[in-house]
Amino acid sequence: MSRRNLLAAALIAPLLLLVTLSFLVPLGATLYRAVDDSEFSTTLPRTTALLRAWDGKDLPPDAAFAAIVEELRTAQQNQEAGAVLSRLNFEETGLRSLLLQAARASARLAPPVKDSLIALNPRWGEPELWRLFKRATGPWTSLYLLRSLDMRPTDKGIVHAGAEDAVFLPLFWRTFEISLIVTVICALLAYPVAYTLSILPQGWANAGMMLVLIPFWTSILVRTTAWFIILQREGPINALLLAFDIVNQPLTMIFTRFAVYLAMVHVLLPFAILPLYGVMKGIKPDYMRAAASLGAPGWRRFLRIYLPLTMPGVAAGSLMVFMLSVGFYITPALVGGSGDQMVSYFIAFFTNTSVNWGMAAALATLLMAMTALLVIVARLIVPGFRSGNVKV
Amino acid sequence: MAGTVPSAPARKLSAGRLALALVTALILLFLVAPIVVVFPLSLSSGELLVLPAPGYSLRWYEDFFTSSRWLSATWNSFVVGIATMILATLLGTLAAFGIFLGRFPGKALLLAILSLPMVTPVIVTAIAMYFSLSLVGLGSTLTGLILAHTVLSVPFALLTVLASLQTFDQNLLRAAASLGANPAIAFRRVVLPLIAPGVATGALFAFATSFDELIVALFIASPGQFTLPRQMYAGLREFLSPTIAAAAVLLILFSVLLLALNEFIRKRAQARGASPSGPTA
Amino acid sequence: MSPNMSDPIIVFDKVTKSYDGTTQVVKSLDFAVERGEFVTLLGPSGSGKTTTLMMLAGFEDPSGGTITFDGRPLNNVPAHRRGIGVVFQNYALFPHMSVAANLSFPMEMQGVGRAEREERVRGALDMVKLGHLADRRPTQLSGGQQQRVALARALVFRPKLVLMDEPLGALDKQLREHMQLEIKHIHEQLGVTVVYVTHDQGEALTMSNRVAVFHHGRIQQLAPPTEIYEKPANAFVASFIGENNKLDGTIAARDGAQCRLRLSDGSEVRAMTGTDLPVGAPAVLALRPEKVLIGPAAAGENRFDAVIEELVYYGDHTRLRLRLGGSDSFTARLTFRDGLPALQRGERIPVGWATANCLALGPEES
Repeated sequence: MSRRNLLAAALIAPLLLLVTLSFLVPLGATLYRAVDDSEFSTTLPRTTALLRAWDGKDLPPDAAFAAIVEELRTAQQNQEAGAVLSRLNFEETGLRSLLLQAARASARLAPPVKDSLIALNPRWGEPELWRLFKRATGPWTSLYLLRSLDMRPTDKGIVHAGAEDAVFLPLFWRTFEISLIVTVICALLAYPVAYTLSILPQGWANAGMMLVLIPFWTSILVRTTAWFIILQREGPINALLLAFDIVNQPLTMIFTRFAVYLAMVHVLLPFAILPLYGVMKGIKPDYMRAAASLGAPGWRRFLRIYLPLTMPGVAAGSLMVFMLSVGFYITPALVGGSGDQMVSYFIAFFTNTSVNWGMAAALATLLMAMTALLVIVARLIVPGFRSGNVKV
Repeated sequence: MAGTVPSAPARKLSAGRLALALVTALILLFLVAPIVVVFPLSLSSGELLVLPAPGYSLRWYEDFFTSSRWLSATWNSFVVGIATMILATLLGTLAAFGIFLGRFPGKALLLAILSLPMVTPVIVTAIAMYFSLSLVGLGSTLTGLILAHTVLSVPFALLTVLASLQTFDQNLLRAAASLGANPAIAFRRVVLPLIAPGVATGALFAFATSFDELIVALFIASPGQFTLPRQMYAGLREFLSPTIAAAAVLLILFSVLLLALNEFIRKRAQARGASPSGPTA
Repeated sequence: MSPNMSDPIIVFDKVTKSYDGTTQVVKSLDFAVERGEFVTLLGPSGSGKTTTLMMLAGFEDPSGGTITFDGRPLNNVPAHRRGIGVVFQNYALFPHMSVAANLSFPMEMQGVGRAEREERVRGALDMVKLGHLADRRPTQLSGGQQQRVALARALVFRPKLVLMDEPLGALDKQLREHMQLEIKHIHEQLGVTVVYVTHDQGEALTMSNRVAVFHHGRIQQLAPPTEIYEKPANAFVASFIGENNKLDGTIAARDGAQCRLRLSDGSEVRAMTGTDLPVGAPAVLALRPEKVLIGPAAAGENRFDAVIEELVYYGDHTRLRLRLGGSDSFTARLTFRDGLPALQRGERIPVGWATANCLALGPEES
């Protein structure tokens, strides 16, 4: 390696180390939880060994019955059973109580354990239950990823949830829909603003730019808070509408999809204006003059010359807006209703509230895949697009 | 609208131009109005966030500056913000210079990896931080928050410094070497003064990123580490007191200050003509 | 380790350079520069001249071979420890430092005391007649002034060698010619060794003690300007330096320093031949347009009939484009002391030249 590259490597190393250790590794470990299935095998190692050896036909050997009961009881006594119970109960509701019942009864079960267990609850005699256990021995599972797509793994392959039970596909669709609408509105609003600012005399343009930059530098939370306050039933908008007798009773605006669109467009609009303004500033008036001298009327000059020339700015801004929209959390959480929440909300929910880290990781993985897919598609359909030239 | 040939003196006010100006004005109004509305709300003497306010007073600002919660959140925000700014600027500037100097393949990939935290949905970064920081015992600590914020804001520092290096004339480094300056001296005496505006902008961005950050704080800060946005969010969720409007106003004023600082840096850099010398450059 | 003062200051020994490992930008370069010499590396862009300069300055590492400077090999000596002054094409003045600070910089690196620095800065600025601009920023100076500051900065720390990379390329023609003389005077005054890179042959011929003509990564000829112009070593040098008519042919017979060359249309020409081209070898006849004679003056061994294809009037001279010896772009450059003769396009006229003025040359070295 040349002296130059040695120096370069030494300069880059600290940052690369930081990003690797405090971002890439945690991110990888987190996303791995989407497929990790180690609760059963960690807590019930002997049962795991027996089930892995079992061919999955009929019922497992008697030893497996004894093992699972004994290991469950020990785990329960050491307060280590929580994880595996949650894991199994997530796959099939009711399994927690079935297992707890067995663990509690374990001391009283007369040998052979198999028969006593089946006598305790006939479900223990169903091969289908044992095959579920066998699947849970890991080390990997598609359970969380499939659930995130409203599917579930069963004995007989993958089963799709019915339309009325579907939760996550509509969630992803809603996230996509909201992001798309916000992006389109931002692009449509950004275009005239950026154009006007780009042709105004410098002084006016700078003043106008300040009106874009002040919201841009103001934190998302502060701006969302402003909308949160403004859109209240007793808030300024309703006060104004009532005062001028435009409505008879206050409108419900907060906790609606409308509020989500309003606040998200407000938060993201500067991201669409800034790159577009940069591109428009760089277009020499000579092009338009040339088009005029070549006989193109105004609207054709716009469609054939100006619009294509400014398209990279529209694309860069729109991609930025869309990418940020897809990951939005705070704004919908504050001003949206329960039906307006996006994927991020559920990732937070599974992390904090329902403590199902597998689901949180699976949704995060799919959200990242969605974002990555978007960047790839954008690179393919927008020629010359580079994420680096988005100047904010 | 863009169809009109923009010739410098001809500023005739056609109907189209008037409509365009009107539309632009309305959109700009939409951008600033919600920010402006918070000001009178925060000055209300009443308990409710209504307009017109029953009277005006500074009571909610007094409440902010006497509440131990808000003050501790302000302190935490500045501690985390400044520490993040220093770390991100230092690491980002060094790495940017390394990438600028190095002659190796895969620079684009390296850059993509280093700026990954910028394009990753923040919620994903937040849960990754939440899981891993608690594993290494940094959950619910300011150190953990600083580390997470540094990761989030370092791409901004890296990219702004890299952008200002792009206009840096490589020959200046060669000139410095030919005049006897070793790489460290050349960096300090020649590179740093010339990219200082970029470094300052990157630092400002890093600070603002940390100062405004909520989602990561939501996951890894306990009440003891609450930052201003986190405290505000807690307030919104509990009881909507006008103190929140006061806090919002203070944050807006601070953002305007940061923006002004950034514009000042930009203007000064332009005025100083910190561009490569020579007519061919 | 004190180098013998009569030894060359720079020695290139089989130096090669390749960026990608396959194509060589510089091919096995061997040459030496004497102390106090002004050597110009001349060639078209991509000929390897700038790469050679960059290797000497330490901005590029040779892929093979050794460069010796002042008696010590330069391999693994970083640029900042070579003590070689460099003037860059775009001057590379530090825009954030005043003119005086730019000049002071190299002496700070050497640890020269403040008083002496100030004195030497003043001396160097006076030398380039810019004493009154010491406190200006480089961006506040004109191109010519920046150029002179760059020159002063490269000299102020008293390097034994100064490299100049197209230093006048950005200046207009008049200023360029003025600066050529100024640089020449400074060189004569200081006795410093200069290696100068340019693609401008006029610059090379007027300033240098010796010129190295580069093409395809090789030195085609390294010689004093007169020899380069009068006795080009091969067809490339002949066409690159000044203007030359080139006619393709083969050596028909040899006779000491002269030969007979058969042109593509079958006619034969007597020419000088420096290189040892055997009979039957392809060769190029090189003849400068100003050596072509017409009318009654065209007498002697090389005399032909030519058709005037085009007449162009330049004021101080007139150019004729002629059809001759299988070429329809044979040029004659004529100056008429006693008014213009009545020549017509399409007219057939006698054309000739002295044998001593034309050369039969082999192709370039590659």
